[in-house]
Amino acid sequence: MSDIRLFNNDDDEMVRGLRSLYAAPAGDAYWNELESRIMARVADVELGWWTELDRWVRPALAAAAVLLLATGVAMFRAHRAEQDIAAESMLSAPAVPVSTAIRPALQDDREARIRFLFGR
Amino acid sequence: MTAALTIESPYRMSSPSDARAEERALVIAAQRGESDAFAALVRQHQRRAYAVCRAIVLTHEDAEDAVQEGFLHAFKALDRFLPDQPFGAWLYRIMANASLDLVRRRKVRDADELPDTVPMPFRDPGESDELRRRLNMALTKLTDRQRSVIVLHDLEGFTHGEIGAMLGIPEGTARSDLHHARAALRRLLKDVRSDL
Repeated sequence: MSDIRLFNNDDDEMVRGLRSLYAAPAGDAYWNELESRIMARVADVELGWWTELDRWVRPALAAAAVLLLATGVAMFRAHRAEQDIAAESMLSAPAVPVSTAIRPALQDDREARIRFLFGR
Repeated sequence: MTAALTIESPYRMSSPSDARAEERALVIAAQRGESDAFAALVRQHQRRAYAVCRAIVLTHEDAEDAVQEGFLHAFKALDRFLPDQPFGAWLYRIMANASLDLVRRRKVRDADELPDTVPMPFRDPGESDELRRRLNMALTKLTDRQRSVIVLHDLEGFTHGEIGAMLGIPEGTARSDLHHARAALRRLLKDVRSDL
């Protein structure tokens, strides 16, 4: 909002001339049409492949992060399971008697007695 | 006696605070990607945007192009706009930049065939009176910036500060341009008045 004090009273006609030179088009039809053209160009930008790509970047990154986390957890669990199995196998009793496994040839009485005494 | 014409904006809403709140809501919605909200912003601002562009470029057609370019730039940069800021001021700066870009491109392209006069707007086919012809010619004697400043200030009602921000010049320069433009126009039109 402002007052126009460009010219004095004698120059009203000049002011009107200047205003008419620069006045915006009248009529809603013109502005509706211009709005349509602007929005059509905006829609072109919206539909560009880069916009689509941009729209999918964040979900894709989130999905990749979740996948990475899940893989990490699965690998950790698998490693723990392997360790547990190894520990259990070490602690569990062997299927074959130790004496047989270590010294399969302890046959005579003397050795049997010594074994008996040390084994107690 | 001084001619004092008050320019009423046709786009004013019920109250400034309501209008501001409504505009802010539209901006936020447009930032979320709602194209209807952006269309509403276009509807609200396109006339004023046209006036800004028209003050800077030479023809109606260029003003139309600049308005479309400006809104496109605004749409692309909408994410960076802070909704608490006045949207109009931000948008009109973009419009002014789009217009200045267009003027620069035209100057490069038409370097060898600059027109002698400011082209008449498309809506004045029957306007051939001497006064307007001379007024039109007088405007060509102003620099581009002086012409823009006088139109933006005296016809569109922008302040010196707003004009400075739009054209990328200090407020004082806008003030001084306006002073010189008025003086030059008065001088140029003095002969016309005495002739008529």
